[in-house]
Amino acid sequence: MRRLLVPVAALGLVILAAVIAGQLLRPAEPSSAAEQAKQLAAELRCPDCQALSVAESRTDAAAAIRREIAAQLAAGRSASQIRDHFVARYGPWILLQPADPLIWLLPAAALLAGLGAFGWWLRGGRTAGSRPAELPAPVDEVERRRVRDELEALDG
Amino acid sequence: MRSAFRWRFLAVPLLVVPVGWLLFTGLGRDPRLIPSPLIGQPLPTISGATLDGDTFSSASLLGKPALINVWASWCTPCITEHPLLLDAARQHAGELQLVGVVYVDTTEAARAFLARYGDGSWPDVLDPSGRIALDLGVTGPPETFFVDALGVVRYRHVGPLTSEVLAEQLAAIGIGP
Repeated sequence: MRRLLVPVAALGLVILAAVIAGQLLRPAEPSSAAEQAKQLAAELRCPDCQALSVAESRTDAAAAIRREIAAQLAAGRSASQIRDHFVARYGPWILLQPADPLIWLLPAAALLAGLGAFGWWLRGGRTAGSRPAELPAPVDEVERRRVRDELEALDG
Repeated sequence: MRSAFRWRFLAVPLLVVPVGWLLFTGLGRDPRLIPSPLIGQPLPTISGATLDGDTFSSASLLGKPALINVWASWCTPCITEHPLLLDAARQHAGELQLVGVVYVDTTEAARAFLARYGDGSWPDVLDPSGRIALDLGVTGPPETFFVDALGVVRYRHVGPLTSEVLAEQLAAIGIGP
């Protein structure tokens, strides 16, 4: 188990660094209403094409949502209020990025579990399982001396 | 360690079966069929000008079950379901209210559609920008909402109605055969 400590700690550091980098590289809070509208539109799924965001899609429904976002921003509603407005009508499906934090944790948990299983296999699982049976019996002192004697006889 | 040996063989089905099941069921699903969050909620207010030049507000629907049908003249499946709506209006006249929402369409094209496929003379609210459809969480016509006498949305049907769905869901909002 102690041998696992180092890779797990290293992985933790890598994840932490990635999170910090993600936070630092994150686009700054949008300044103008138009930018904010664009950012919101990019977070919403186009209802009648599915694979595109509202910002990218040219369908009627996407255009209607863009107008609605602009109208609500102009009315002074916050980004999260507008997001909730669409979730109340279309369900969380409308959000391109799932809001449930569990969904983001699952891949990391699966990776950790996989690494754990791999570590277990490297350490205990493999050696305790099949390897020892295949290893030859330890060489005893009598045999060792005989090998040395014969080798010396060959040299001489 | 014999148990470890056996575990290794178990691990394969343990991984493959759930992942395969997820892919198999998930990929076959139509994402449009996700249940509407409006089910069990009061119908959002629908108001606006109608095709006949009147104004309509969904507040007038309270007290009787209603069908809200989102359609457009450019929507081909709307043609197939139209006779069912005409039938339902005739059959349940007096107890069922029908309301059309004309989704992203012109008045002329919508009038021509009704002239060609039959005008049931229920109110058709104009929604040229798709603003009303947005409040209903519509992904595209045709979509039909079944609303009970209390104004609560009971069912949303995506795609053209069938006589089975219509009979079943009308019964659920209190309209007998």
